[in-house]
Amino acid sequence: MSIVLAGYGLTKKYGSTTALAGVDIEVGERDSLAIMGPSGSGKSTLLHTLAGIIRPDGGQVLLGGERIDRLGENRLSALRRSRFGFVFQSGQLLPELPAEENVALPLMLEGVPRKQAVERARRWFAPLGLDGLERRRPGQLSGGQAQRVAIARALVVAPDVVFADEPTGALDQATSHEVIRLLTSVTREQGAALVMVTHDADMAAHCDRILQVSDGRIGTYDQFTVA
Amino acid sequence: MRSPVLPLTWHLARSSGRRGLQSQLLAAGAAAVGALVLLMLLAAYLGSGVRADRTAWRTPEPDRHGTAVQALATTFVRHEPVTVVSLAQLPDRRPTPAPPGLSAFPRQGEVYVSPALAELLRKLPANQLADRLPKVASYGTIDAAGLASPDELVAVVGRAPTDPAVSEAADGSGLWDDGLTARAVVSGFSGGKPSVFTRSDQQMVLLGVGLLVVPVIVLASAAGRLGAARREQRLAALRLAGATPRQILAMTAAESAAVGAAGAAVGALAYCALLPALARIPYGIGTWYTGELWVGLPWLLAVVAGVAALIAVSAVSTLRQVASAPLGVAQQANPRRTRLIRLLLFVGILVYIRQSASGGDLKTGQLVALVMLFYGAFWLFGPWVVDRLGRIAGRFARRPATLLAARRLSDDPRGAWRTVSGLVLAGFVAGFFTVGHLALGGIDFGDRVAVPTANGATAVTEARTLLREAGITATVSAGEDDFLLAGNDGVTVAVPGGVEKIDAALTALQPLAGGRLPYGADYGSAPDRVAGDLLSDIGTATLAVSFLVATASAGLTAAANVLDRRRVYGLLRLSGTPLKVLDRARVRETALPLLVLAGGTTSTGVYAAYQLNKAAESTISTSGAIQLAACLAVGTLAMFVAIAGSRPLLRTVTGDPARSAE
Repeated sequence: MSIVLAGYGLTKKYGSTTALAGVDIEVGERDSLAIMGPSGSGKSTLLHTLAGIIRPDGGQVLLGGERIDRLGENRLSALRRSRFGFVFQSGQLLPELPAEENVALPLMLEGVPRKQAVERARRWFAPLGLDGLERRRPGQLSGGQAQRVAIARALVVAPDVVFADEPTGALDQATSHEVIRLLTSVTREQGAALVMVTHDADMAAHCDRILQVSDGRIGTYDQFTVA
Repeated sequence: MRSPVLPLTWHLARSSGRRGLQSQLLAAGAAAVGALVLLMLLAAYLGSGVRADRTAWRTPEPDRHGTAVQALATTFVRHEPVTVVSLAQLPDRRPTPAPPGLSAFPRQGEVYVSPALAELLRKLPANQLADRLPKVASYGTIDAAGLASPDELVAVVGRAPTDPAVSEAADGSGLWDDGLTARAVVSGFSGGKPSVFTRSDQQMVLLGVGLLVVPVIVLASAAGRLGAARREQRLAALRLAGATPRQILAMTAAESAAVGAAGAAVGALAYCALLPALARIPYGIGTWYTGELWVGLPWLLAVVAGVAALIAVSAVSTLRQVASAPLGVAQQANPRRTRLIRLLLFVGILVYIRQSASGGDLKTGQLVALVMLFYGAFWLFGPWVVDRLGRIAGRFARRPATLLAARRLSDDPRGAWRTVSGLVLAGFVAGFFTVGHLALGGIDFGDRVAVPTANGATAVTEARTLLREAGITATVSAGEDDFLLAGNDGVTVAVPGGVEKIDAALTALQPLAGGRLPYGADYGSAPDRVAGDLLSDIGTATLAVSFLVATASAGLTAAANVLDRRRVYGLLRLSGTPLKVLDRARVRETALPLLVLAGGTTSTGVYAAYQLNKAAESTISTSGAIQLAACLAVGTLAMFVAIAGSRPLLRTVTGDPARSAE
């Protein structure tokens, strides 16, 4: 398995608080990795650092072997748009756009003509169980449906890595499992890696690997195999 | 038990952090601008009334048992009117009280002048002005009590009752004399008829107030909507904590009213501080005495309270929508569609306005009512147009920024309309006033001077002699057929060489006119010119204030939108959406409806001005088109500056993507 994303010796401090204290991490192609840890352990900081949202104080982040932690904001922004996908807990969909346009937006931002972008976006609706909901607005969708639209949006640009930050935090247990199953399987099918922050061990269990973060360090390392 | 509303409101307001403070500061700023503008409007309205009252003493109030003869005459110098009040105490009558501005009733041979006239008398050669008044060693001074403006040119001359300037003075019955001359036996100076130069001031201000009140209300209501998202979150949290909807509404009202009152108080203080500067803005007869623009403490407090109440009502009405359907508003499940009935009502109101206005001869009150109705019509129509625009632009949008803007427009057309409404309505004002400057010059008498005199034939020779002695080259003719003499006997004189020569001729020919004063074209066109000048002054002031208020309103709404949508903007930026796309979407969201609607209202304004000019049998101002283009350019620029003003805020709220994700 080739390494698509890696962080070596990552450190980050907020004032006197150490969020990352020399973290080494590697994510392979089609790999799914859950980052767990108590509140304030540094798991979100790690995800944001890997995604180029936060610059580390020390260490380096490599995407496909190229260092990205020193890129300028514009290039980082373009990178996040074209090679990463993001799924958050909630509030990431534009409330005034219908679902299909929310999904098509990253493609349009990449310069794909609107008609083609919407056509490509629509292809994601049936596989994600969203058939017939293309013209619905986020407010007219259930929490689970909205998260599936968010997954479609994250994957529509064929990213190398999908970052998910507590993607089921606002969902009930049954819907959470359904969404995570979909997220891990579709991500893998698309050949993308998944890095997910969660506090829920049941959700983490859907991933290939679980990383425990505590006080800015990687603690225990377990390897799971998805059943 | 003591209500927990106020302490809890205070506590929450204090602990709302920097974001809450930003909203509160913006709302307070809007309240300050709103209060300042309202106080300025009120000051202009009340002040113009005071000014008119202060000129009323010059027009004599006839009293058969009077004690003195008062003659009002008007002459012009450098095209500016000089009011000359001649007073003669009648013998064997009790003493007449002193007129306003004078310490005593003027004795024969005494001349009192206003400070501005004294200055002009010093500045101009005596043969152009001073020789029109009796020669005296020194002039007395008319103080502010007898003047409406520091710039007024007024003289009070004490004369004998037999002096022709009193006994033979014009009595106001001539064709051109309306308000410019009058003569009567009086017992005092309690006249109730304001001078022709101030009598329309208040009505014109009322027209400006009518045009400006709506943009000010828009501004205040925009302030009330600030922080709506924060309040919605608070509503949800407090409802969960057990607060009743009534308590939440009360807290919202208390907080927004307090912020509004604080801002309005700042606006009121700014008004007080700006009073001397405001008094220097000329209107009609000139600048103001500062005291004339002081509205008084009760009005000041009423405006502060009114603005605070307006903001509180706006905040509560926004929250009431949330309270009635919290889920729908929070998630914006359904677009806030507009119905076709708005278009039908708009057309109906416009037809009504057209029919009402086509009769002509509207009083100012009726005109203001029609203007308000027109605004109301646009208030109905605006969101409908924005909605349709959004749908059309959404269908054809190719770029993400345009698509985002279009969807925003059709998602909340009323909100988008509120952003641009101020400038759209200002467009109407611009269209109306720039093109509508009435060319009410009346008949152009050119450089002619008329001297009413009993014997026109011999007067020609005398006139030639007087002019020759004064060194003025002019053509004198018996002017019985000259319309400038309005059917009276007399001579007319064509005086080439400009206003100085005309002023010199008016001065030189005065002995020929007996008790009357020679006059030129300014005299004949004075009432029309006053109306035209007032309209022009009001137009300029209204335009300036409209654009100020509309720009503040647009900037405020743009900033409020950024604050309310900070999370979604932050997440979009985090996912790689360039800041410029978000910014372009914001600009297009405003520019699109602005261009269409402001274009529409401006055209309507031009049309209304055209109709008004047609009714007045006047021509459209030739420079109007250029002024209109300048106004539109300034307005558009102002709008973009206002939106650009919130760009740093957008950058700040999306600057820490990690925070957006949390």
